[in-house]
Amino acid sequence: MALLRFDNVTKAYAGSAPALSDVSFSVEEGEMLFVTGHSGAGKSTLLRLVHLSERPSRGTVLVDERNLAKVRGGKVPLHRRRVGVVFQDHRLLTDRSVYDNVALPLLIAGTPGSEVGKRVRAMLDKVGLLERERSLPVQLSTGEQQRVGIARAIIAQPRLLVADEPTGNLDPQLAAEIMQLFASLPALGTTVIVASHDLALVKRMRRRVLVLDHGKLADDISPEDLAA
Amino acid sequence: MSAKADTRAKPAAAERKKAGGLGSRLRAWREQHLYSLVSSLGRLASRPVATLLTVGVMAIALALPLGLGMALGNIERFSGSVTESREIGVFLQPDVTVAQARELAAVIGARADVSAVGVRTPDEGLAEFRAMSDLAGALDVLEDNPLPTVLVVQPKGDGDTLAADLRQLPQADIVQHDAAWRQRLSAWLAFGERVVQVVAVLLGLGVLLVVGNTVRLDIGARSEEIGVLQHLGATDAFVRRPFLYLGAWYGLAAGLLAGLLLLAAGLLMQGRLSALVASYGTQFSLSGPGLRGSLMLLAGAALMGWLGAWLATGHHLRRTRPVDV
Repeated sequence: MALLRFDNVTKAYAGSAPALSDVSFSVEEGEMLFVTGHSGAGKSTLLRLVHLSERPSRGTVLVDERNLAKVRGGKVPLHRRRVGVVFQDHRLLTDRSVYDNVALPLLIAGTPGSEVGKRVRAMLDKVGLLERERSLPVQLSTGEQQRVGIARAIIAQPRLLVADEPTGNLDPQLAAEIMQLFASLPALGTTVIVASHDLALVKRMRRRVLVLDHGKLADDISPEDLAA
Repeated sequence: MSAKADTRAKPAAAERKKAGGLGSRLRAWREQHLYSLVSSLGRLASRPVATLLTVGVMAIALALPLGLGMALGNIERFSGSVTESREIGVFLQPDVTVAQARELAAVIGARADVSAVGVRTPDEGLAEFRAMSDLAGALDVLEDNPLPTVLVVQPKGDGDTLAADLRQLPQADIVQHDAAWRQRLSAWLAFGERVVQVVAVLLGLGVLLVVGNTVRLDIGARSEEIGVLQHLGATDAFVRRPFLYLGAWYGLAAGLLAGLLLLAAGLLMQGRLSALVASYGTQFSLSGPGLRGSLMLLAGAALMGWLGAWLATGHHLRRTRPVDV
């Protein structure tokens, strides 16, 4: 059973060409895949549809067999808690410590306070930032900030994680480190979709790749084909 | 779904089950409120000047109608004590003798709506007139005392019915009962109450606007944070909560300051007022809102702050929510 399925999805905005056009694919649970393409190919739109920041103009998006068209009103936040999101610009709260930033999804989900501390520290330990828990985001390097962003996205154990150009601002070495962090997540039960225009990096990861071109799904490359 | 995927799904399911108990949910709800309450207080403390200005404006807006209302209450109380003890003057016909007047006073004094009746003879009246005026010399040239015997009747109630009955007495020449004065005073007091209500509504709206605008500015400064919270799955209630507490804190502080302003104003006026009423041979002290009134003021002000913040956040959430979500 697919965790995520796009069936003939089109997303159009008034007065411009469709951002996505008749896109269909599915993602199995525990998979990690990349969505790539040139700027404006529709990568971010695709992720926004999964995260319910947008709705398709036509077609169906299903997450865990649930049609997102039927997720409305107060159910939208609940859906978003099941889908972790990592932004290119991290979007950390600058006046809160690393600890407080990572704890946010747990507070939102109503996790008891006694448990929050344990889980946040365990997560910071996992991303190598336990010693920086009291630091403010501005006191961290760009790579460290992105690791905080990832820790925040996965602390509530989402079924699905979407990351939009998470290495866009990082140097190649840091980008590789971040990608290794993403690659470790499927083993923890999180399905990962990463949008990136960095083809070299994507090829090195040897994972499934969806190639978008002007909003159309131009190719769906398996890890085996990528290695060949 | 593969067996591997089933195994992976278990931790999340167990997590949901663990977090789903009513007790833990209530505990989490309490912790969320506590977090919002404390963080909003910290937010106020982090910018003391801006907070003080906002609270000051709100406090004055609250203190004005409250002060007017309290002043009106005090006037009512004072005029009530004055009107209760108002006397009815019955000026008898010139041919009624003092003895006949005393008999009539006994009859009137037996009525249930009369608390006391006094007889002021023409001689007593003349002596009183002589003492109170500068006409002593002129009075000396009068051959006869022109003043009639007067019955001074103290009514138990408002005295309107009694005065009407006294006017029917054949011995009565003029009955002086200042009902019109009291009616005019009552009308002024009723008008004053309405003015206070209108001012209270207008300034109450002002308080809502001040809180709403302050919270709106705060929301504007934190719009990115709100966006992040919404992406992380925060409900409208979660986003709104710290702002509601912020509004309530503003209201509570403004209510407290308004109460202190009224107290200070009362203390400033009491000394002069006491001297003024003492010159009329009576005593009067200003009354404040009391414990119950003070608690109602604080609760009402906090509620208004909460409402202003609710309106401001509601507007922002409606504006920033994706249209089709």
